[in-house]
Amino acid sequence: MCFLFFMASHVHAQTRTITGTVIGKDDGLPLPGVSVTALGTKTGTQTGVDGSFSIKIESGGSLVFKSIGFTTQTIKPTGNKVDVVMIGLSNDLNEVQVIGYGTQSRRESVGNIATVKGSDVIEEPVQNFEQALAGRASGVQITIPNGVMNTPPVFHIRGINSISLSAQPLIIVDGIASFDGNVGGGESGSNALANINPNDIESIDVAKDGAATAIYGSRAANGVVFITTKKGKKGDAVVSLDTWVGISQPFRLPKVLDANQYIAIKNESIKNAGLYNAATLSANPINDANGNMVNTDWEKLLYRTGKSYNTTASISGGTDRTTYYASAVYGNQQGIIQTNAFNNRGMLFNIDHKLNKYITLGLKISYYDQLNLANISSGSLPGEAFDGSGVGRLAVLLPPNVSPYNLDGSYSTTTSGIGIGNNYGFSIVYPNPIPQIDHDRRNNELYHTAANLYIAVKPLPWITLKTSYGVDNINSTNDSFSNPFSNYTVSGGVTTNAASASTSNTSNKRYSWDNTAQFDYTFFQKNNFSLLLGNEQQGTTTVGSGLTRSILSDQTFDVIQAGYVNIGTTGLVNTKNYLVSFFGRLNYNFDQKYFLSATLRRDGYSAFGTDSKFGYFPGLGVSWSITKENFWKSIGADKVFSSFKIRASYARVGNNAGLADYASTSTSNSSLYNTHPTLLPYTNGNNSLAWETSKKNDIGFDYGILNDRITGEVAYYKNDISGLIFNVPVSPSYGLASNPPDNIGAMYNKGFEFSINADIIRSGSFRWTANFNISFNTNKITALIPGTNSFTYSTSGSETASINTVGKPVGDLWIIKTAGVDPNNGRRIFVNGQGKNVEYTFLGTTHWYNMDGTPYLNAAGQPGTINQTADSRDYGNTSPKELGGLTNTFHYKNFDLNVLLTYQLGFYDYYGTQATMTDQRFFNNSTIILDHWTTPGQIARFPQVVFGDNVSNGTTLPLDINTYRGDFLKVKTVNFGYTIPKSFLTKLGMSSLRVYVTGQNLFIITKYPGPDPEVASNGSSTNGNSSGGIDRNTAANSRTFTAGFSVKF
Amino acid sequence: MKKMKKKYLLIIGIILFSSYACKKSALYPALESSVASSQNFISSDRIIALVNGLYTTIRSTALYGGNYEIYNEVKCDNWINATANSNATYQTWTETVSSTSSEVTSLWAQCYLAINDCNVFIDGMNNGGTAVVGTALATNYIGEAKFIRAAAYYALLQMYCQAYTLNGGTSPGLPLRLTGNSVYGNSALAPVSVAAIYAQVIADLNAAETSLPLTYADASTNTTRAHRNTAIAFKTRVYLSMGLYSNVITEANKIVSATAPYTATSGVAFALQPVIANVFKAPYTTTESILSMPFFTTETRGNEGDYFNSVGTANYYLNPAGIIADPNWKTTDARRAFINLVTKVNHYYLTKYPLTPYTDWANVMRYSEVLLNLSEARVRSTGTLDAQAIALLNAVHTRSDPTTTFTTASFPAGVDDFYAKIAEERNIEFLGEGLRWSDLLRLQLPIPAKSNVPSIPVTSAAYIWPISNNEELYNPLIGR
Repeated sequence: MCFLFFMASHVHAQTRTITGTVIGKDDGLPLPGVSVTALGTKTGTQTGVDGSFSIKIESGGSLVFKSIGFTTQTIKPTGNKVDVVMIGLSNDLNEVQVIGYGTQSRRESVGNIATVKGSDVIEEPVQNFEQALAGRASGVQITIPNGVMNTPPVFHIRGINSISLSAQPLIIVDGIASFDGNVGGGESGSNALANINPNDIESIDVAKDGAATAIYGSRAANGVVFITTKKGKKGDAVVSLDTWVGISQPFRLPKVLDANQYIAIKNESIKNAGLYNAATLSANPINDANGNMVNTDWEKLLYRTGKSYNTTASISGGTDRTTYYASAVYGNQQGIIQTNAFNNRGMLFNIDHKLNKYITLGLKISYYDQLNLANISSGSLPGEAFDGSGVGRLAVLLPPNVSPYNLDGSYSTTTSGIGIGNNYGFSIVYPNPIPQIDHDRRNNELYHTAANLYIAVKPLPWITLKTSYGVDNINSTNDSFSNPFSNYTVSGGVTTNAASASTSNTSNKRYSWDNTAQFDYTFFQKNNFSLLLGNEQQGTTTVGSGLTRSILSDQTFDVIQAGYVNIGTTGLVNTKNYLVSFFGRLNYNFDQKYFLSATLRRDGYSAFGTDSKFGYFPGLGVSWSITKENFWKSIGADKVFSSFKIRASYARVGNNAGLADYASTSTSNSSLYNTHPTLLPYTNGNNSLAWETSKKNDIGFDYGILNDRITGEVAYYKNDISGLIFNVPVSPSYGLASNPPDNIGAMYNKGFEFSINADIIRSGSFRWTANFNISFNTNKITALIPGTNSFTYSTSGSETASINTVGKPVGDLWIIKTAGVDPNNGRRIFVNGQGKNVEYTFLGTTHWYNMDGTPYLNAAGQPGTINQTADSRDYGNTSPKELGGLTNTFHYKNFDLNVLLTYQLGFYDYYGTQATMTDQRFFNNSTIILDHWTTPGQIARFPQVVFGDNVSNGTTLPLDINTYRGDFLKVKTVNFGYTIPKSFLTKLGMSSLRVYVTGQNLFIITKYPGPDPEVASNGSSTNGNSSGGIDRNTAANSRTFTAGFSVKF
Repeated sequence: MKKMKKKYLLIIGIILFSSYACKKSALYPALESSVASSQNFISSDRIIALVNGLYTTIRSTALYGGNYEIYNEVKCDNWINATANSNATYQTWTETVSSTSSEVTSLWAQCYLAINDCNVFIDGMNNGGTAVVGTALATNYIGEAKFIRAAAYYALLQMYCQAYTLNGGTSPGLPLRLTGNSVYGNSALAPVSVAAIYAQVIADLNAAETSLPLTYADASTNTTRAHRNTAIAFKTRVYLSMGLYSNVITEANKIVSATAPYTATSGVAFALQPVIANVFKAPYTTTESILSMPFFTTETRGNEGDYFNSVGTANYYLNPAGIIADPNWKTTDARRAFINLVTKVNHYYLTKYPLTPYTDWANVMRYSEVLLNLSEARVRSTGTLDAQAIALLNAVHTRSDPTTTFTTASFPAGVDDFYAKIAEERNIEFLGEGLRWSDLLRLQLPIPAKSNVPSIPVTSAAYIWPISNNEELYNPLIGR
């Protein structure tokens, strides 16, 4: 303020009365209680409930508008009326942050918590709020694994903090631990967290360090994300309507050969194999019913431009004693894959009531119905990379000279796959996807209810007793059908359909009851104490069952209730767990200068072994607001730093997420033998199985420069994880039914985080603010199981391309090196484990040769092969070493523009899809194959094409030719809006109206040749922790444009 | 106001007090859809279920439910691989298995899983289970566990060990596990000799013979669970593998009558069926089937049909130069009816397991094997032809081929002719039933060449399977 004060000019003139209204930028609502003062005077007033004010100032004087949580503005009125839009500052020290079981101001915060305002995640065509978090906060990695609707993003805070358990953070929604991850069984994503409408989010607080997370004990190791939904504000009811429409398109799809190129390449490769015979083995054109040559663009048939629509309506308001907020959302979002869609409808209602001086109570209820629709596998969800009918693969693999239809318009199918057209002698084992798109279903529907109720009593001003009961229930229904037109068998000339249907229903129920007592007291004026004591119980049950039926009685049926020949079960599950906790937190500060926060939690969890049911999880954080010290001023540091706070924390917390409910128990299962019931050991437990332990160290500082026009944070952290759970292999002759789990591995994550927020330009009509953040993370495994230095991991159980090795980061690529193509004979040169070059030819019975043309022999002198065990090497890390985002926001008069760039650097991606697209079986190829060897002496990118060759270009062995740096800079979101002038709106009865357009994934700068370097065939699955950075037949990501408006009445 | 405050405080205090709690029992939740293994022996229902469970360990398609028989078949000369699918025993067929081949790791693991489940069961019975069901039933059940354990060890001996007949069993054998493991622990154990494993198999079968019931209530159980005569019959197989022919005779005579029609005169009355085809169709429970692994659509399906008979798509078809080319196997022989030419692909398939979805029961042992075991042992034990040996051979042969009856004159060169004939008869009689490899091994014969796969001499490293790589990784004492 002093800064502005000095800049003010003192002009004496007549006084005049200025009136106007102050609204908040984010919600467009009138802002009550904003302090309005005449600059350089003591004249001041506050805005009323409707945001209006009236003040007398000297002519030529300026007005200062001030409110907690907003940037102070100084405006020199030109007329007698001034309308002011106040802009919230996410780094304002007065901002309220959510912490476990309470809130506090950022000024008092000891822990490292990044806050993202709800307004930052709206107006984006996302299915769940997580998708909009990328680049918003330092240390937070969000990777959208594919273009399938409502896929849970890979969500890591400060690196991957577990190998076998979940590495995703704990999500607390309005105080209740929410279900998260994929909870459906369809072919679309079915993220449990899609029940939170981004429009309903007030704020997202991401707790990263020990001090901020320790209160969550055995669940805190991966960080904690607090979602706070909107509540009503005192004042007249405000009705708002937010609507957008949009389109999504696949982008950066690979270019594949057309029919003529395909025919040429295949015939060339068949000739090279010495097998060409025009009548029995050759590729040839075929005409469609109109006599035109078939040239099928499978990418066009399988992808589409999706249309989307989403509307949220809300009403909120309140009196001195009662506030309420209610909203409803209705949306239909189509994905870029044919038939993939996300349809959501939901409601949220909450009410808070102050019964009297002592008692406050409140209720929240939300109900969501989400339909996650898809008729065909995308081949992109975890475990699906090699799905027969995965769209990601079929789009690039199916021959372009094959039509999905026969001349009579029927589907071109055989018992083993799509019809082969005039490709004589070909065996195409992949299905015709069109009948699946037309008739199949792989749908999921989630009914998600989340509710909670609280009563808080303040018997004395410094005591708050609160009890809160919440439920989170998801009912997940899967509905699947496979059509009889492309699924059938022929035996003895008789065709039998192999249609099938399945349905299953899983009920996930959770209750959570917590009781807290909070004591806030100030002794001797400057000693501020806040003590929290609490108890929490959380119980979760999962119960499900389902039915499968196959072979339709009548081909027109397509529901499970119809007639079928066979019957079976699916989706049988019945488990529960229970967590009970006792916790305390003592916050103390002296004169808002020295801060201390100590927490202790005791957790007991049913899944832990009987000898390890309970654990203690302590945390301690301290901070020092150095600007409050006199010496700070005396050395003049205050001229540079308007605020400066140093903090440090330590905590020992745990991870239990993803631990199977009965992991510690030895169980026996029932089956049948000759129709009699059986019982047999099924899993082997471990009585001492406990949480994975995470020791979090954090040190850093928050700073503000130029009267906090520039603010930011710097942090260093080290997270030592021990007791990583592995199912420890024992010798098979020991005869255990399963490998028992044990807390046995160790690793660490350490790194730096920087963030900076700058109010760069602030002139009357033009404002420019920016936020930049970057995080550097180093991850290293320090112990696996005794006697084992490494574990390999496979993608979808088929291709082993990932490895965890002691001394290396989690999920490195495990790849075989190559050395180009031999110009003499057109063979791919491989490099064996000893660094020696070896050539491969698909021809003949001996395939591997030394460079001198002699057969390659192994150590035993037998004909050798290049294989993964002997010859793969650690190719590099797949988790980015650096990542972050840059947000720029511009306001000019009523226009605003928000541009978010995200980037991830220092990592490798394995583009396995490229191996598919250069495979020399009947597969169609990428146009890059055109650069292949044909004549001696030729330097070519790809070897001689030989029909059937699936080794030279990487299908059977993951090769370095398909491995790339994944570094990228992405124009993630651009939002351009215009706020209609208020003067115009009042005539229409509106209080605010904003129209906008948004573009998402507009542009990527990367050397990665695949559709998107931000991919993960293994997604957010637990297997995905150790096999990230794999792009194996994954469907492309989408580029989305939306236009919308936000209106308030 | 003061009063009101007190009232509210009281209410809230009660709520808080009552809820500030911990449901201790919820920390130890009961299993809903499975049984805690610690509670397995608390009732007679659970114990009989455990016994039936033990059979499922050997019924697994990884073991006697199909793969064990398939390995024994395709390792030898009667089959041609059609799919080169390495997940489908291709390496067994090409004699190129390595310690990481899936058949090598999976059979090893399944056998020891069965062995450990038997050990855990026997331990559990000795530690309380016997008291629950009573001594008589407990004796029966433990006998069954020992029988299953012996069957599993025997399978391991056939695939991973040199023949007992090579050197009297002095070759390195297997880890001998006789106590149950159910928690993580030191899993290293050195192998013992082939002879020591065989001794354990015999000891288990002897114990089973004395403790198993003579018969069960129905034919279905007689065929699917071990009774006294099952143990005796299995001993004839084991002793034959060991080359201890007089023991074969002793055991076989307990269940083979002195004169035709040959039958077991006490216990379950084993006998040849008049028509062999009857053994291979529902209900699969004739007295010829000594032990079979039952399959239904509701119980894990077998896979022999998948490998040998899923017409046109099977992994294997019959080697046209194999036993089906044998001119002595007459076209009128009833067993030729199991050979089916699929003209479309011009390959012969075996129809002993014709059903899809593969619900044919898997034969582990048939009475005709006991008769041929006894026949062969009688001659080999004395080195001279013997009328009853020929009669036993005829019993099996003439059932399917009544036009040929062997006499002493059929073997002009003496016992060598007889040995060849009985080997030929076993090859025909048990085609697709998994005895071929064991016969080559015990007689120390090379594996004949087939298609482009060369003959494997007895001295070759490829003659027997290597030990599972997983065992080598996690058992530092395996030392083989």
